[in-house]
Amino acid sequence: MINKEIKELDSEKTSDVAIDISVVVPVTERIDDLREIYVQYARKLSAYGKAFEFIFVVDGSYLNVIGVLNDLKKTYQNIKIVSLSRSFGEATALSVGFEVSRAPVIMTISSYFQVEPEEIDRILNKVFQENYDLAISRRFPRIDSFFNRIQSWIFHRLTQLLTGRTYHDLSCGLRAIKRKVVEEVPLYGDLHRFLPLLSYERGFRVAEVCVKQSAYDKKRRIFKPGIYIRRLLDILTLFFLFKFTKKPLRFFGLLGSGLVGIGGMIIVYLGADRILGHGAIADRPILVLGVLLIVLGVQLFSIGLLGEIIIFTHARKVKDYAIERILE
Amino acid sequence: MVLLSKDSGLYLPKPNKILENMRFQKLEKTASDLDWKIDLSIVIPVMNEEESILELYSSIKNICDGLALQYEIVFIDDGSQDKTFRLLTEMQLKDQRIRIIKFRKNYGQTSAMAAGFELARGKIIVSMDGDLQNDPSDIPRLLDKIEEGYDVVCGWRKRRQDKFWSRLLPSMIANWIISSVTGVKIHDNGCSLKAFRGSVIKNVTLYNEMHRFIPAMSTLTGARISEIVVNHHPRHFGKSKYGIGRTWRVVLDIITVKMIISFSSRPALWFGFLSVPFTLLAFIAVFLGMGMFLGEQIDGWLILSTVSFLLLSLSAHLFAMGIIGELSVKMGDNWPERGIKPTMVVQ
Repeated sequence: MINKEIKELDSEKTSDVAIDISVVVPVTERIDDLREIYVQYARKLSAYGKAFEFIFVVDGSYLNVIGVLNDLKKTYQNIKIVSLSRSFGEATALSVGFEVSRAPVIMTISSYFQVEPEEIDRILNKVFQENYDLAISRRFPRIDSFFNRIQSWIFHRLTQLLTGRTYHDLSCGLRAIKRKVVEEVPLYGDLHRFLPLLSYERGFRVAEVCVKQSAYDKKRRIFKPGIYIRRLLDILTLFFLFKFTKKPLRFFGLLGSGLVGIGGMIIVYLGADRILGHGAIADRPILVLGVLLIVLGVQLFSIGLLGEIIIFTHARKVKDYAIERILE
Repeated sequence: MVLLSKDSGLYLPKPNKILENMRFQKLEKTASDLDWKIDLSIVIPVMNEEESILELYSSIKNICDGLALQYEIVFIDDGSQDKTFRLLTEMQLKDQRIRIIKFRKNYGQTSAMAAGFELARGKIIVSMDGDLQNDPSDIPRLLDKIEEGYDVVCGWRKRRQDKFWSRLLPSMIANWIISSVTGVKIHDNGCSLKAFRGSVIKNVTLYNEMHRFIPAMSTLTGARISEIVVNHHPRHFGKSKYGIGRTWRVVLDIITVKMIISFSSRPALWFGFLSVPFTLLAFIAVFLGMGMFLGEQIDGWLILSTVSFLLLSLSAHLFAMGIIGELSVKMGDNWPERGIKPTMVVQ
């Protein structure tokens, strides 16, 4: 008798057109010479021996970009150009690219030179030969300025502290992804940096590969302060996504009951003082502190309860487990 | 989104569709309510139980073959790292009554059971441990009890073979707390060996770590619950995967379950009750401050007023929480619009 694999939920969707790799390029604020990018990567891909297509997703309107791309399309046919009516963000641009793509493996690259194109072999091998579901890259050794490296280090250390997973270069746009990962992990807002973390949560196999940094990537990048705050909030969002959305009462309840505990101890201490006859307590400011802590604690606790109510009333729709396959 | 014609090579994509499809994963092959194909399903979550699986399967087979009914065994491989899955597939080749769900990584017992319950097709579903602590010979008596008219039958390990101080005593305390808080008077909440009427368990909402509270959650749908004494074998192989230091988290879970059971359709009530003691305290503080109780001017009226305002603000906060809770219930996916689907008998 044969194992009837009725549902291979990890769909190895083979397209009717024989393309092996879809290269998705989200074109955002930082743009190098797109023609150069296409030529160099396409050359490397042909040498790798797989049929490919390029999908440029232009996230907003940039001067000349559409013109350049249209020219490119006249020379090389395997290019698709998707233009978004306004800037939605890199994650949405990637999502759009994923939907338009048809190949079973998707490679993402940035619209600027981050990595030497020679290195894509290593990323692709992880997926094609070693059967990883997602391969991300790490620019190492770094040749750019100390300032860049230090801010990158801080970002990744924070991520590691809050989520427990260690990655070294989440801003590097070179990735190779299997189709099933893309179908299960939604990307929106600024979550594209955290694709490896989200994929790992869904149980996919993720590999990080060291690649050579591009010679064009040396410039010191100082961002507006708003950008730094956004990054911080991204990490916090991720932290909440993992810890809070499943168990809100545990998260807030622990905090809340801790505060109630401390406040309660203060009140008990004051009560004992009164009983022992040390005088009235109504004029002692620490009474306010005790009550305040209790109030804060109960508030936090009630927010946890509210979270639980929200989850319970929507629990039918969301399954937090990921099934690899069912054998019947 | 942009709108240029297809001929110029520019597309009109629909990003919203991706976000919708990718977020929720559906098991398409679930049995419809009145379409039971089999009499009995046995649902067993396993993780790293390579030593126990074969023996477990053969003892189940021995018992169930003698029962003259159609049955299936649903194993859920919850992220095993050892030979468990390989053994399962080999077993499945020889016996088509076995079905296997393989998780991509470890998601916990509740998720495993939820997946198993959804896939199962039996009129009666029995859940049990995968580590040989439960005895399959108890299954016939579980089935008899269901026949008597109950919807959920729990196993009661009356003569437990475990260490007293580290296992039995905390367990007794926990069971006492759970039964008094949730109102479900069964003696052993930790026993995984339970039998359910298929239609009932498929209506029970299960997530996080609620597998301990399945009987309590089933009371939402009006299930009739009972228990029978079952055998318990001490753990033969492997180490226990549970520790003692999770008490506070379980307490929080109990609070959650209690709240859900009592007030899931009327959360404003719950928060309303919660706010009463604080409102009372606030008024007491105000009166004290105005010297009404003691008939004299109190020195600390400033502080007392602050305290009473703090407490009043807490009451207002809780009131607001109640309102948002109501909103969430109304927007949620309860049946038909606001309630829980009741257990019913259709004749």
